[in-house]
Amino acid sequence: MPYQCFQEARAVLAEDRSRKLLEIAEMRKRIAFWQNVPASDLGGEYAKKGKLVRMQRYLEQLKILADVNDPVIKKRFEDGMGDMDRPIYRYLADRKWREYKRKLLMQRISQMHIVPDMLPHLDPIAEVSLGFGRRNVQPGEFVDSRVSEIPARLNVRVFDKGERLVSIAVVDQDVPDEERDSFGSRCHFLAVNVPLSPTNTSIPLFKLKKEEHIVHPWLPPYAEKGAPYHRLAVFVIQQDGAWKGASLDIKALRESSRNKRDGWKIRRFVDKKPLKPIGMHLFRSKWDEGTDGVVTRAGVKGMNIEFTRKKPEKLPYKKKDGARYR
Amino acid sequence: MRPLCLRSPRLTLPSHTCPLFQWLPLLPLYHSRPASHASQGRANKAAQGPGKRLGAKKGASELVVPGNIIFRQRGTHWFPGENCDMGRDHTIFAKEKGYVCFYKDPETHPKRKYIGVVFERGMKLPVPRNKPRNRRLGLVGREREMGTLATITPPRVTSGEGNEALEVGGMTEQGGTLRQQDKRTRAKMPELKQMGIRPGYQYRESNRHIGRVAERAQVKVGEFKKRGRFQAWRKLNARRAKRTEKRASRSRKKKGSKNKSKN
Repeated sequence: MPYQCFQEARAVLAEDRSRKLLEIAEMRKRIAFWQNVPASDLGGEYAKKGKLVRMQRYLEQLKILADVNDPVIKKRFEDGMGDMDRPIYRYLADRKWREYKRKLLMQRISQMHIVPDMLPHLDPIAEVSLGFGRRNVQPGEFVDSRVSEIPARLNVRVFDKGERLVSIAVVDQDVPDEERDSFGSRCHFLAVNVPLSPTNTSIPLFKLKKEEHIVHPWLPPYAEKGAPYHRLAVFVIQQDGAWKGASLDIKALRESSRNKRDGWKIRRFVDKKPLKPIGMHLFRSKWDEGTDGVVTRAGVKGMNIEFTRKKPEKLPYKKKDGARYR
Repeated sequence: MRPLCLRSPRLTLPSHTCPLFQWLPLLPLYHSRPASHASQGRANKAAQGPGKRLGAKKGASELVVPGNIIFRQRGTHWFPGENCDMGRDHTIFAKEKGYVCFYKDPETHPKRKYIGVVFERGMKLPVPRNKPRNRRLGLVGREREMGTLATITPPRVTSGEGNEALEVGGMTEQGGTLRQQDKRTRAKMPELKQMGIRPGYQYRESNRHIGRVAERAQVKVGEFKKRGRFQAWRKLNARRAKRTEKRASRSRKKKGSKNKSKN
């Protein structure tokens, strides 16, 4: 028989898998047992919860170990045919994402100071890819203002099971503020209560329903002439915490004065509610020859401005006593 | 010459047979000891050169403006921190107007000493890691004329899906504007120009479309008629021969004229 060794190896793997399956069944039984034991016997509610969480984590680990050596699963994953409802494919996809794409994203986040400027801390656990029309955008890429005139299409892959609701926010943190001699922020898009699951990954922003989801419709990114480039960050924020899956009150959001476009801050939005940023993507925009047309069509006022460098100040000159030099 | 050594093993003899004084006459009369250390030159170091005026040029919480030198040094005793930079000779200078601050930042580097500039007197460095950066715009706005493009509706360049208006979060996007053509040209060109964004942000037709321009303009090339090919070949050769002869005669004439002028 050809590939004799391979067939033998498969038998070994199959045996290992059957052992793992037995272990899984055993673990499930144990979890069911400990769930029924009163908390007082286990040293309190907190201790019981910890024990159950640990057991559950081990069970998830076993599920992956049972399948991770299967050559058919490896092949299916590499062909892109993996079913993201199964833990093994989610595990493999997560591992692949963390190998390169997440590292690149983290580098961009630190290079472009997304973390101290927009959020105090960020640990992406979902893969976000972004594009306009047919053009895909790499994290941190400069995007022509004419390209980003139409709303982006997002692809968000989460690697943990279950449906959830997410908010999507596009923020510009580099709006020049001449009065304060500093930078302000602006919200270019805000949608809430968008359903997301490991299998349902595509979120085209222009297809979101206006009444149900959209707080602020898409405002094309633009930069003033002569101003430094604008960083536009796309945040995917999971609505969980104390009330997982609970939807946000969209009417209140629309009406509240805190949620105006100008001066909208992602920090404030995330702090006040049990929201957790799970994924992000970013691109940059600077003034180009198409910007004037884009802002005119979008109806943005006050863009007939050009920034130039301030004349560098000199140190206050201390006038010395004239008599000394006479 | 090496001085004679009484203690050298070759010369050690029993003391009773050979007392010390017997050997003394063999020693040289004038003995000079060579120097073990050079009295001149490199070994004694050149005299100290002029001082290089290194050190702090500005003290802590002193006002500086962009370009002011804060510290001169050999090597990096100090590193540039917030709103500061390092010059070619490791000089630390200010990049913003503010007040000088000397500090350590163990989270960035456990051992380095930094010099920074803060915008307001009394502000402290290092800034906590999760705090947004303090940034200064440092620009002045000036009114300008909007570009001519602002008034024109440019064609859709982003996506290739359909020409119908797209409802976009409350914003309506127009379909592509194509060159308005009269009925005659439209009849001539069955397919309209399909402009789009190409690699390298080129706004033009695709190569596929450019290749079929003639077809769209209904340019027709006459059919190839195969008549007497042998006769044609003979004619062609005759023409070529005539041409070469003409050229040869022309060059001969030129040469002749040159020779004449020389004579």
